Amino acid sequence: MASKKADKGSLKLVPILDLNEASVLHGQLTNMRGNDVKIDASEVERVGVQCVQVLLAAAKTWEADSKNFVFEKVSEAFEKTMQLIGINIDHLLAKEIRQ
Amino acid sequence: MDMNEIKEIFFQECEEQLAELESGLLKLNDGDRDPETVNAVFRAVHSIKGGAGAFGLDDLVSFAHVFETTLDCVRSNKLEPNQDVLKVMLKSADVLADLVTCSRDGGSVEDSRTRGLVKELEALAKGEMPSGGAAEAPKPAAAAPAAVAPTDDSGFQPIPFSFDDDFGGDDDGKSVFEVTFKPRRDLFSKGNEAALLLRDLSRLGDMAINCDTDALPALEAMDPEETYFSWTISLTTDKTEQDIRAVFEFAEWDCDLEVNEVAAQAAEELPMVPVPFDLSALDDEPAVAPAAAAEAPADAKLAAAAARVEKKEAAAAPAAAANNAAAAANAAGQTIRVDLDRVDRLINLVGELVINQAMLSQSVVENDASGTSAVNMGLEELQQLTREIQDSVMAIRAQPVKPVFQRMSRIVREVADMVGKSIRLVTEGENTEVDKTVIDKIAEPLTHMIRNAVDHGIESPEKREAAGKDPEGTIKLSAKHRSGRILIELIDDGGGINRERVRQKAIDNDLISPDANLSDEEIDNLIFAPGFSTADKISDISGRGVGMDVVKRSIQALGGRISISSRPGLGSTFTMSLPLTLAVLDGMVVTVAGQTLVVPLTAIVETLQPEASAIHSFGANQRLISIRNSFCPLVDVGRILNFRSTQANPVEGVALLVESEGGGQRALMVDAIQGQRQVVIKSLEANYTHVPGIAAATILGDGRVALILDVDAVVGASRGQSMKQDGGALKADVSLAAAG
Repeated sequence: MASKKADKGSLKLVPILDLNEASVLHGQLTNMRGNDVKIDASEVERVGVQCVQVLLAAAKTWEADSKNFVFEKVSEAFEKTMQLIGINIDHLLAKEIRQ
Repeated sequence: MDMNEIKEIFFQECEEQLAELESGLLKLNDGDRDPETVNAVFRAVHSIKGGAGAFGLDDLVSFAHVFETTLDCVRSNKLEPNQDVLKVMLKSADVLADLVTCSRDGGSVEDSRTRGLVKELEALAKGEMPSGGAAEAPKPAAAAPAAVAPTDDSGFQPIPFSFDDDFGGDDDGKSVFEVTFKPRRDLFSKGNEAALLLRDLSRLGDMAINCDTDALPALEAMDPEETYFSWTISLTTDKTEQDIRAVFEFAEWDCDLEVNEVAAQAAEELPMVPVPFDLSALDDEPAVAPAAAAEAPADAKLAAAAARVEKKEAAAAPAAAANNAAAAANAAGQTIRVDLDRVDRLINLVGELVINQAMLSQSVVENDASGTSAVNMGLEELQQLTREIQDSVMAIRAQPVKPVFQRMSRIVREVADMVGKSIRLVTEGENTEVDKTVIDKIAEPLTHMIRNAVDHGIESPEKREAAGKDPEGTIKLSAKHRSGRILIELIDDGGGINRERVRQKAIDNDLISPDANLSDEEIDNLIFAPGFSTADKISDISGRGVGMDVVKRSIQALGGRISISSRPGLGSTFTMSLPLTLAVLDGMVVTVAGQTLVVPLTAIVETLQPEASAIHSFGANQRLISIRNSFCPLVDVGRILNFRSTQANPVEGVALLVESEGGGQRALMVDAIQGQRQVVIKSLEANYTHVPGIAAATILGDGRVALILDVDAVVGASRGQSMKQDGGALKADVSLAAAG
């Protein structure tokens, strides 16, 4: 259960996104293909590299589909891990939370 | 937490770092050669530079960089930190502090000042270094853009990103390693996590990272459990290759790992490949600030880079790092930053609690004369508890006076430079704690006094030599607790007060009559009279038309006292006695002409019931009281505050023997003593208006407002009166106004 799906276009990520969650997340995002997606990562406490890979692959795919893929909210832990591993998601952040 | 808050934290940290820097430099100046002191100084500048880079504060970064380079030479024993070197460094610390202030509050530091010091610092770095040294000294402006190899082929432009300062400049025992790390699928399936390994790596030193995401396929094509990312890391550390490999100890077989030490110069050319998800920094320390980004041509990418590093700082700043839960918990256990408003709100609430508790006690006492009921007993416990809560809350606001003292050393340096004197500031008891409000408010009067001491107190080196003194003057600033107050002393070894000149000036300014008979102490204290200034001409330093009366007024507004004692030819001592807190006061509640007043307990020496035989009258309506074979002027508080038109009969009242700074003892006559209690101070100035002779107000248990007596003002006024009657010497209104 990598995420709780609130509606068709939005995805709330669960607090622990470890290796076990990568496949679940992958499945959920695959099902959302073709729609604009808003990701809510506000409750994420821990995120592993493999879930990051899934999210970024999705972002890449959505970009190719000319659909929106936006992080609507991100937790500090999520943002920090991204920075730690050298990943910039600024361009994927919703305007409201962009610094 | 938004960006502004994070920036605010950065500035708060800057203040701490600047304090560290200054105290370290002063230690070095005093001959301390402990490598840890040098390291602490270096770290302070380095941290400021790192943080400033994260926020794109280019001026600050550039200057800090040059400063750091020179400090680095000291650290690596290439430059002896002698007095001349330290003079430049102390000046640089001042400029760095100004740059921080300007970055925070706007404005700019005089360019010529910064440029001049940059040259001096660079000269120091070059002059003392061996032939190859110049190359080792990184230049703040030059190195940047060329360092980046534009190897990206995916349409992303290279972002100029300099590593010269953090990765090329630290050749003092630190090495730069290039680490490439590509985890394999097994690494994850065995329970390892690449992010954690990177986190551990970042703890070894200053690290910059570049994640290569090129291998990442589209969503459908990917295997969520496969690994596609790989990293190139530049790590500046004092650790060895073995230490670095130890981080990957349990994962080494499940990843491709390369660790190579690179030369400092080579490190500057590390190809930190720009990728869609650009490099960001690691570690809790904001150490990867792009110093040279400032000098690179402004383009959108650059701005984006700055923003990204900002993001990194954004996450790094709060308390401890989220990627290090244990460390975070540890750090949080030691100190936390709390908004001052919150503390103030808490203090106000506790103040209200104290008042409420007093009101409750009073109404219970009124209904339970025996004082033995369970409610009464319970109330006593409540009172005890309230007091403890109040003390604890007050302790939150208590701060050492160190920051203010440190600020003074800069003022001494600057003013001494301006007037061509050589002066050493010695501080003592700088860890003495006092309420933050008091600290905030003593800085200004203290600054003025220090300026005065440097400008007027200490003589010129020639005069000092002629007088057989050390040409270098000494100003000593000390703080200590005494009887529930803080005592701050400012002692100079200058020429002391020129009493003849002071007296003449006072006569010229119509402050005293030419025939007034004043003691030495009284003459010295004339410098606190309004409008008094011995400066023959207005100078930039102390003669700004603001006299010592303003200093006295600010101190008194804090409920403090100030006095001076001076020895001709040997120097002067200013003594300030201030309350530890401005929120509560232990006072004696007294009745005067039907009014309830509170007299601060700290001022009272003893109380006594005057006997008719001990009262002696002289003059029109002056009275003295004989206490243990000495005479003390008796002052009717009700009369002096105009509560009544004639003096009361001393035998019917109570005398409070009080001591005022510089004014000796006085017996204040009140009608009766109600009791002794702690009261919560409410400012009259803020809620009503200033009333001469009254320091503040409080709310009593029965809900009435009681005025808190300004003992010094009352004593001052009484002295004025008596002297005026003696020969029109010091005018009463002058004295009262000065005291108020």
